Amino acid sequence: MENLNSAAEERIIRDLLPQKFGRKGKLFVGILIVFCLVGLYAYYRQLQYGLVVTAMRDYASWGIYISNFVFFVAISLVGSLITAVFRLLNVKWSMPLTRIAEMIAVAAIIFAAIIIVVDMGRPDRFYNLFLHGRIQSPIIWDVIVITTYFFISLLLLYYPLLPDLKILLGVKNAPAKGLQRFYRFLGSFWKGTDGQARLNEKAISILCITIIPVAFSIHTVTSWLFATTYRPGWDSTNFGAYFIAGAFLVGSGAVGVAMYIFRKVYHLEKYITEDHFDKMGKIVVLLSLIYLYFNINEFLTPVFKMKRSESGYLTDLFTGNFAGVFWFAILTGMILPVVILLFRKGRKPLPVFIVGIMVIVGAWLKRYLIVTPTMLNPFLPMYNVPAGYHHYFPSWEEWAIAFGSLAGAVLVITILARIFPVIPIHETLTEQHETADH
Amino acid sequence: MKLPIIRFAGLLVVFSSMNAHSAFSQAAEKSALSIGLSYFSIDDKVPYVVVKTKAKIEGRFRPVGGEALKIYLGSESAGSLIKEVMTDDKGEAFAYIPPALHQEWGQNPKKTFLATFAGDKKYDSASADLTVSRAKMVIDTSGDRKIVATLLEWKDSGWVPVKGVDVAIAIKRLDAYLNVNQTPTYSTDSTGRVTAEFKRDSLAGDVNGNIVIVAKVDDNDSYGNLLQEMTVPWGKKFATEDTFGKRTLYATGNRAPVWLLLMSGSIILCVWSILIYLVVNLVRIKRLGKMG
Repeated sequence: MENLNSAAEERIIRDLLPQKFGRKGKLFVGILIVFCLVGLYAYYRQLQYGLVVTAMRDYASWGIYISNFVFFVAISLVGSLITAVFRLLNVKWSMPLTRIAEMIAVAAIIFAAIIIVVDMGRPDRFYNLFLHGRIQSPIIWDVIVITTYFFISLLLLYYPLLPDLKILLGVKNAPAKGLQRFYRFLGSFWKGTDGQARLNEKAISILCITIIPVAFSIHTVTSWLFATTYRPGWDSTNFGAYFIAGAFLVGSGAVGVAMYIFRKVYHLEKYITEDHFDKMGKIVVLLSLIYLYFNINEFLTPVFKMKRSESGYLTDLFTGNFAGVFWFAILTGMILPVVILLFRKGRKPLPVFIVGIMVIVGAWLKRYLIVTPTMLNPFLPMYNVPAGYHHYFPSWEEWAIAFGSLAGAVLVITILARIFPVIPIHETLTEQHETADH
Repeated sequence: MKLPIIRFAGLLVVFSSMNAHSAFSQAAEKSALSIGLSYFSIDDKVPYVVVKTKAKIEGRFRPVGGEALKIYLGSESAGSLIKEVMTDDKGEAFAYIPPALHQEWGQNPKKTFLATFAGDKKYDSASADLTVSRAKMVIDTSGDRKIVATLLEWKDSGWVPVKGVDVAIAIKRLDAYLNVNQTPTYSTDSTGRVTAEFKRDSLAGDVNGNIVIVAKVDDNDSYGNLLQEMTVPWGKKFATEDTFGKRTLYATGNRAPVWLLLMSGSIILCVWSILIYLVVNLVRIKRLGKMG
């Protein structure tokens, strides 16, 4: 331990301390707040006039709100992958990425819960779900599992933070008083004794084991919301695994993007190295291939059989109205990432960042394609309905709320990164000590 | 200038000849309409006659719908008209024997039916006749689940048994007939009887276990189609299961299946126990901090 001198320790702490927003940071936060406010205004209009302000009608009764919900649930799974799976597998290199993954998970799960309430025509009746909910319904399973996952994600963010809070309270350049009070409220009791450290370590291990089945449940149950509904494209036994594979991919893409931004903004090049991007790039390749496999599995057999009841939906996806979006999502969300990241140069920070954005955009469009084409291709043909019922294009209110929620999630991550260190300080110090000892 | 005129004239000739050909060919295509007649006497109900029309179209006999026919009892006269009918898409039409012909119906034990078609643009006029003898089927059972059917024909002034006619003994199901055993048809003996053993165990019946057995003669040259039904309590009682108010996956929330409640409850309890333990763990960490 003593091989790492206090100056080096101080430098590490100084490097990893949360930093105040600069001009660009404030501008970025301002833009996010504007998006959120526009979204809030759109939601106010939706509350005032009802769901009629959306483009959702009798047939397309699920729209981009549900796509957004699935997207948020998917992205939240990254907390379990980076933190839990890697920790249990004793993968040391992922340590600087754990906090980022946990922040993304917390932000995403908060907005998954919010957006599903937004999708309700009468949110004031939400309590009925608890009073008269049916345990037989996958919707109730989803409510239970989302609440559980949110709680676990919070604990998984909080427990590893405890040693860092002591460091934050002890630094010479004390943060603002408000923040100090907040840190004291959260972790003034942490003294770093052996007993505390032992309990903390044990709790993190328990959390890592618990979060994996819960994370699998959350997205499997979300997939069952679709798969237990008898509709073209959703009547699949593959859906659970298909959703999980997609979730891990988009989560990894999001971590790649967040890594790049935090590294650049907070000058963390020493801690989030090119090696981290290289390894994350390889993980994205693996996950893209797995997701591609599940996509082939999901579509090849129905297309091969081309049952009459599903032919409209499949034709719409492959060559019809949704073909452009479908092939774009497959190409940018799965195929191009593999092609780019297979090369060493492709796994440099900037390409990983770009690929991460491609994966996220592809993933969002994929969720849109899971929901909308199925809704517009019911088993019973649409007869005698207004022409508008045959199509779905979200209204400005829907777009505003969807983008507002996405901005909200990014805002939560940004605020968390402003308050807490994006790289665990205590764990970095411990790792540096271990390296120095060797 | 001349060339287009010649071309136009040429085309005119070609089209004219085509039209002329089609006009001629329509006249030449008028074809024969085939008429089939069948007589039905079902379970003591009013007997009826079915008429079927078909024609050779593109080398195959196909049903012809929308054709008007007249069906007579005996001869073609206004007084003996049973009904004027129109064939449906399957080329079929039927007519009950009307009460107005009651007297004529009782006069002669041999009935002759006549169907006539007057002809139209597509088909030549046509007619068909069918003669059947007045007959009836009697069905009965014996205690050891045996079905006895007797075929009788009206001759002179009484019913006499008919020998050597194929009679099918079956169970009436929804839109179909199910054999009572391995043998689908029996030939009547000198007493006009056939006997079939009922060998269907646990065949679903109605709520009282009733099933309907039938004895029938199909498309017989002398008697047409005869069928007689009888209800017997040889089936299995059909008990409808009312799941209303029971614990099912589709019931209301307070009537969820016990296995689901146990499974979901134990999973939720297990996971939340861990989470509560972790919160308690935080309290312990806090306490240790205060002690330190």
